[in-house]
Amino acid sequence: MSTTTLDRSAPSTMSERYLAIPTPLRWMGVAALGILVLTIVQSMSGTSLLTDSNTSGTMLRWSIPLLLAALGGLFSERVGIVNIGLEGMMILGTWCGAWGAFNWGPWWGLVAGAVGGALGGLLHAVATINFGVDHIVSGVAINLLGPGLTRYLSERVFVNYEGGSQTLSPRVDGLGNITVPFFAGGKIGGWESPDMLGWIDDKEWFWISDMAGVLRGLLFNIAYFTIVALVLAMIGSWIIWKTALGLRMRSSGENPSAGESLGVNIYLYRYIGVMISGALAGMAGAFIVLELTGLYRGGQTQGRGFIALAALIFGNYKVSGIIVGASLFAYPLGLSFADFDGSATRALLLVITLALIGVTVWAIRKEKWVDAIIGGGIAIAVLIWYLTTEAAPDWLPNTMPYALVLLVLIFNVQKLRVPQAVGAPFRRGDH
Amino acid sequence: MKRLVKLLGLLLAFTLVAAACGDSDEDSTPADAPDSTEATESTEAAAPASDTNVGLTFDIGGRGDQSFNDSAAAGIDKAESDLGVSYTEAEPNSDGSNRAELLQTQADVSGLVVAVGFLFANDVAAVAAENPDVNFAVIDDAMLDFDNGGVPRGENIAGLTFAEHEGSYLVGVAAALKNESGTLGFIGGVSGFGLIEKFEAGFAAGARSVNADIEIISQYITEFPDFDGFVAPDRAQEIAGAMFAQGADIIYHAAGGSGAGLFEAAADFTGTSGSKVWGIGVDSDQYNTVDSAVQEFVLTSMLKRVDVAVFEITTAHENGTFGPGNTVYNLAVDGVGYSTSGGFIDDIVDQLEAAKADIISGVIEVPTEP
Repeated sequence: MSTTTLDRSAPSTMSERYLAIPTPLRWMGVAALGILVLTIVQSMSGTSLLTDSNTSGTMLRWSIPLLLAALGGLFSERVGIVNIGLEGMMILGTWCGAWGAFNWGPWWGLVAGAVGGALGGLLHAVATINFGVDHIVSGVAINLLGPGLTRYLSERVFVNYEGGSQTLSPRVDGLGNITVPFFAGGKIGGWESPDMLGWIDDKEWFWISDMAGVLRGLLFNIAYFTIVALVLAMIGSWIIWKTALGLRMRSSGENPSAGESLGVNIYLYRYIGVMISGALAGMAGAFIVLELTGLYRGGQTQGRGFIALAALIFGNYKVSGIIVGASLFAYPLGLSFADFDGSATRALLLVITLALIGVTVWAIRKEKWVDAIIGGGIAIAVLIWYLTTEAAPDWLPNTMPYALVLLVLIFNVQKLRVPQAVGAPFRRGDH
Repeated sequence: MKRLVKLLGLLLAFTLVAAACGDSDEDSTPADAPDSTEATESTEAAAPASDTNVGLTFDIGGRGDQSFNDSAAAGIDKAESDLGVSYTEAEPNSDGSNRAELLQTQADVSGLVVAVGFLFANDVAAVAAENPDVNFAVIDDAMLDFDNGGVPRGENIAGLTFAEHEGSYLVGVAAALKNESGTLGFIGGVSGFGLIEKFEAGFAAGARSVNADIEIISQYITEFPDFDGFVAPDRAQEIAGAMFAQGADIIYHAAGGSGAGLFEAAADFTGTSGSKVWGIGVDSDQYNTVDSAVQEFVLTSMLKRVDVAVFEITTAHENGTFGPGNTVYNLAVDGVGYSTSGGFIDDIVDQLEAAKADIISGVIEVPTEP
């Protein structure tokens, strides 16, 4: 009898101890363990790309548009408006970003992209808040409007620029890059500082070198725009959770009638939320133009707005979760770009297997038998796939975000916390 | 307030209409048709008069892609000024679901319809059967019925294909001669439908004819039927960056509009590493189409003379010599080739010309599969 009591209390004290660790340290610990898994997989499947600094650098670069757009989705959903129009607002951001950057320089490109996206947000706000249009319908309309309008504008504007055309803008410069000195060998006023992490990476120490490699990728050649985005993510989190503005915005998404009875101008906060949402999505588009391609090209967002929505759900409508989601979704892509024989993407299948085994063990301990069977079943299927294939198919990295979200929805339904009033029609004075 | 709501409603209605019109086939709509006829009228004085209209139907990407479609556009521009024909342009919507309708609209107003891209093949076969008095030509598809021993798929259908592997062989030779690191790269737009593999096969064969031990790393951006690989310069840039980091010093791309990313990556890598790397362009002479800031990284380009094919089929139609079946534009007729803009390969032109002569005479047989 006493043993069962012990068994029950043991996990709870363990989780209490785990929660007592300061959050940043906890995250670092999780990341280090994640890299340990990658190290082990790497030693089993003969690839070194999983923890290569090039891979983590690409992951960071490619996660930023997802992060910004998902952050935009967060602001919109938090005030109770479903924003499936992120993709369209992003497209407006790409065009305006290229236009601003070409005419006045890259920083103005960033601003113009945000303004362009915010205009898309304004349209969405007018349609959904004032006219009570179904959020999905309005969002889809914006997704249709984005490519059409930018094409029309390109035919009127970019065609007249040298190097521009109906589908292309002239080349534009990015905001510039910085490499962190001492850690990744950045320069201080022309003097090349030592590359500490690079040195550790070259030593090929088990696990330690892999951690250094991943970290070096995150600190090497970072775009200033990336720093802007990460700072915005922190500010966004602070606004939503720590300020009066954020509280009122959240009340608009959780229980607008109660908010209104307390004197909160629900319409105003919804407008603010949706326009911030559009601005962030537009900035995501500007990032693609300025930092990933160096020009506007029709169709270049490639569905990132929808993947951002997936990241938002994956991240359980929280900024920290979004950052993890965006990174996880960008990682397979970063890997696939450098993976010329498909071996590293194949190794990813083993990582997924291990992760699913972890989930299964967790489900068994929690006595969630259905989850355990699903998790174990998929784990076995992926393991068989890993064992029977030489190289993973090209479509795998592109599919991963959606697969991950499906898994999260399967295993995490009880914990997923959606704003209560999201998507529901609300009329002023209508209780 | 009520008026404001009305105004906003009007605005919303307008944007929805604008969204509906956003499909990029506007050049074939009646509203825009006068534009193109106007343009023709102004040039009629200089060119011999002709009442033929050519329906040029682009692939996704359309005029302005600085690559494949623009090459076709250059051909029709030349036909307009030299032969005095007029033309109408059309481009499918983003999911390509309206190809057949576009072809029919073009056939209604044209004597010759040129479809730019093999994706039109089946739709052309169907529409051509219903419009027997209109001639059709498809770029990049032979338009032969291989189930029936390779007869033309219609008496009014011509297929215009290119010997991309032969041109790629020559730039492969150029790359291997200029190579210092022992590694070359190849970036293909979309794998799995056979066309882009021809580029890779020719490139690899050409490079190995110079240096049998040369390593060639190859990567395709997307897999058939996902054609995003032709319009994803961001992905091409990351792939090229990784190839340069793994030791390639020259990369050849056959990825249409994605190729812009290759030259960006070459400029970036050269800037950060200090060692000069190159990209090789495709379809048109990319030295002349890329931004001047990255021009110095375009070693050469594999020319695929879509413009020549469009011009020649228009000429044949005008002269009444249009015939069904497949025309292959190869090295022998200068349908493919290489560019020397920038002067970076002037010192090896002799070797390239020798290889070219050997291919034409049949001494070298270039493979079409990697």
